[in-house]
Amino acid sequence: MSTILQIKNITKRYGGLTAVNDVSFDVNKGEILSVIGPNGAGKSTLFKLISSFVPATSGEVLFNGERISSLAPHKVARMGVVRTFQETTIFRSMTVRENIIVSHHLRSRASLFGFFLGTKQAKDDEAAFAASADDIVDFLGLQAIRNELASNLPQGHLRALGMAIGLATDPKVILLDEPFAGMNHDETMKMVGLVRRLRDERGVTVLLVEHDMPAVMKISDRIVCINFGQKLAEGTPQEIRENEKVIEAYLGSEDAAIGM
Amino acid sequence: MDTKKLLGFAVFLLAVFVLVPLFIGATGRVDFFYTLTSVALLSVGAAGVWLTFYIGRINIGQGAYALVGGYVSAILVTQAGVSFWLTLPLAGLFCAAISVVIGLPILRLRGVYFAMVTLVLTEVARLSALALPVTNGAKGITSIPLPGELSFFGLTIIPAFGSLSNPRIGFYMMAVVLMVVTYLVLWRIVNSRLGHLCRSLQQNEELSASIGVNTAYLRVLAYAISSFFGGIAGAMFASIAQSIYPSSFVVADSVNFMLYCFLGGLGYVFGPMLGTLLLYFGWDLLSIAKQYQLLVYSGVMILLMLVLPNGVLSLLDKKEGRA
Amino acid sequence: MEQIIANGLYLGAQYALIALGLTLIFSLMNVLNFAHGQMYVFGGFVTYTVVVQLGLPFIVGLFASAIVLAVMGAAIEKFLFAPVVRRSKRDESTMLLAAGVAFFLDAVILLFFGEKQRGVPKIVNGVFNWDMRIIMPYDRILIGVLAILLIVAFIAFMNYSKTGRAMRALAQDKMAAQLMGVNVARYSMIGFALGAMLAGLVGGLLVTITGVNLGMGGPTSIKAFLMIMIGGAGVISGAIAGGFILGMMESVGLTVLSAYGDITYLVIFASLMVFLAVRPQGLMGKPWG
Repeated sequence: MSTILQIKNITKRYGGLTAVNDVSFDVNKGEILSVIGPNGAGKSTLFKLISSFVPATSGEVLFNGERISSLAPHKVARMGVVRTFQETTIFRSMTVRENIIVSHHLRSRASLFGFFLGTKQAKDDEAAFAASADDIVDFLGLQAIRNELASNLPQGHLRALGMAIGLATDPKVILLDEPFAGMNHDETMKMVGLVRRLRDERGVTVLLVEHDMPAVMKISDRIVCINFGQKLAEGTPQEIRENEKVIEAYLGSEDAAIGM
Repeated sequence: MDTKKLLGFAVFLLAVFVLVPLFIGATGRVDFFYTLTSVALLSVGAAGVWLTFYIGRINIGQGAYALVGGYVSAILVTQAGVSFWLTLPLAGLFCAAISVVIGLPILRLRGVYFAMVTLVLTEVARLSALALPVTNGAKGITSIPLPGELSFFGLTIIPAFGSLSNPRIGFYMMAVVLMVVTYLVLWRIVNSRLGHLCRSLQQNEELSASIGVNTAYLRVLAYAISSFFGGIAGAMFASIAQSIYPSSFVVADSVNFMLYCFLGGLGYVFGPMLGTLLLYFGWDLLSIAKQYQLLVYSGVMILLMLVLPNGVLSLLDKKEGRA
Repeated sequence: MEQIIANGLYLGAQYALIALGLTLIFSLMNVLNFAHGQMYVFGGFVTYTVVVQLGLPFIVGLFASAIVLAVMGAAIEKFLFAPVVRRSKRDESTMLLAAGVAFFLDAVILLFFGEKQRGVPKIVNGVFNWDMRIIMPYDRILIGVLAILLIVAFIAFMNYSKTGRAMRALAQDKMAAQLMGVNVARYSMIGFALGAMLAGLVGGLLVTITGVNLGMGGPTSIKAFLMIMIGGAGVISGAIAGGFILGMMESVGLTVLSAYGDITYLVIFASLMVFLAVRPQGLMGKPWG
């Protein structure tokens, strides 16, 4: 198994506050890796660092051996590392299908000026985007709502739409921000299945941040646990479950259930 | 374009190029030519402001670019003897170029902050025009010659305005052509991928960046196009008025450009055109109200805002159910 | 040097008061009140009417300005802004409304008070002269001190009164304030009234020195926007800082740059652009996004 993403000694300080402190781990190609940790442990900041939405104070992130930290976010996305957001982050006044089509931007071969003129290449691009968007709609089972305005969607669909937007960019690595948050058991299980298919059928490496321990245990190949901005442990779900430090960290916080 | 849109466009062209001149000829209100010329040119500037709205920025600085465009054309014509027809695109390009320099830092600002900075920009333009030697200070540049002949390979496309028996109609035609071209460009932008990306920017800049859109570039691009429109509108104005002063475009004009867009509706390409027509023509017609002109005008504006907070064209929404 | 600082402080105190009103309205309702300058002019005219035409004491005029503008502000909020904010798809629609109100107030001022420059006779005579180092008329000193007292009173009000604290909570987080039982509609109205009242009070103060005229509204609004941009929109300390900074810059600029013509404001604006490019949220504003 080859390494696709390397996080090397990454640190982020806000003023006097250290949100992420010297965290390192590798992500293997084709695996599902979860980052867990109590509230405020620095998970979200870590995600922003990996997708280069905030600059790191020190340390770096390598994608296939190339440094991607300190690149502009759209360049990181262009290389194939794409971040999805929590459910509110969609293009609200577009329909589901429009959301997905516009997100194919990275695949366009025609220039913006070409699109303005309506060249043959631009028309081909548009047709390809539409076909691919329909493909993604089918893949995620969104057929019934494809022409709904995104602002009218319930939460579960929004989450799927966020994933569809991510998929449209044709990512190598997708970063999922709390994909199970606020879902009931059935919805969670459905989403777990979806994330698996993302990897199995589309070959996408998945990195996710999550609170829902049972789901994390079920879905992950490996888990990285962080607390107070530092890496506490790394290993298979089994190893994490038995790790003393992890148990301690969780017992010391409100969400004590680690889901065993 | 489908047949219905094509037909609508044809009717529009017929109206502005044939029916309006006939109507004015019949009523003898030749002053309407001047009013409508202003409407057409202002709506070119408003189209630019509308485009910046489309990427989610409130632009109250179009007056600055109109002023700069006017001066660029006036200086080139009077001091370098360049043909007006060449200065027209040059004025637009010059405005686009400075808008890139200014836009790079200020387009990072959002919401009210961007709005306020652009408002200040208009003041900067006015004060610069007062202070710079090349603009001739408060005296401005006057007696700008009327546009000369435009010809390609000896073929006259546009006759010299000085030779026209009625330059007013000439200016009207010219302004309307400019307006039509501007709105065709705008319509095409909005309905191409460029426009879709602008919409994505308007709705969520972070997400837009994460799907790989170079948001900084797109913002500057839209702003430069917007300023280009402002520049050519200003250049035409200076040429029609045959003069330009630091006070030719002031803060109130910048605010008006924004109001035209708002009133027409921000969700509709032709909103700014309609808004300009309503507000400017309305203002002109209200001159019969004498000292109550401003009172009635602003009263109606407030009332419209109360009844139709999403613009006049939002009336269409109720019929079609969707923007 | 001392003269420049004294002038700057005097100007800054006036400016800070104007900016406070604007920033208060902005922080509560996310409305950029284009009509702020017009409210200031209106306040000046009210004081002028009471003092010059009715022959009443200056302090009565000042109170009249405060009351008239507070009522006007409350009415504008309740009957215009509140409904539009509630029904509009985008926040920016309030800008059109604010601009409409600005035009409307201009029209009303034109009809009621005319186009002429109006002033109130000096309220105190004499000139303070400290060794030729600071020369300042007593009336300016009085107005400056009054302005500073008003700023102090405003801060105290925002920090220690129940109303003030409710408004601060509202400005910080509308949702949370609502959950805590703050009546949003009511305090938005009070805030707007208070902001308008401050504008009116400054108008009343300054009519004794510079006088007022119809054309002052727009430029005053722009200056107020500048101040809250410098300090950070929606932040009280920022408005005060912005006001004093602009006052100082103007005072320094008018002295230092006078040799180069009338370019003080050009320089101020240009440096502001550079400043905002580096620090978009202003000195004390919260970063957004």
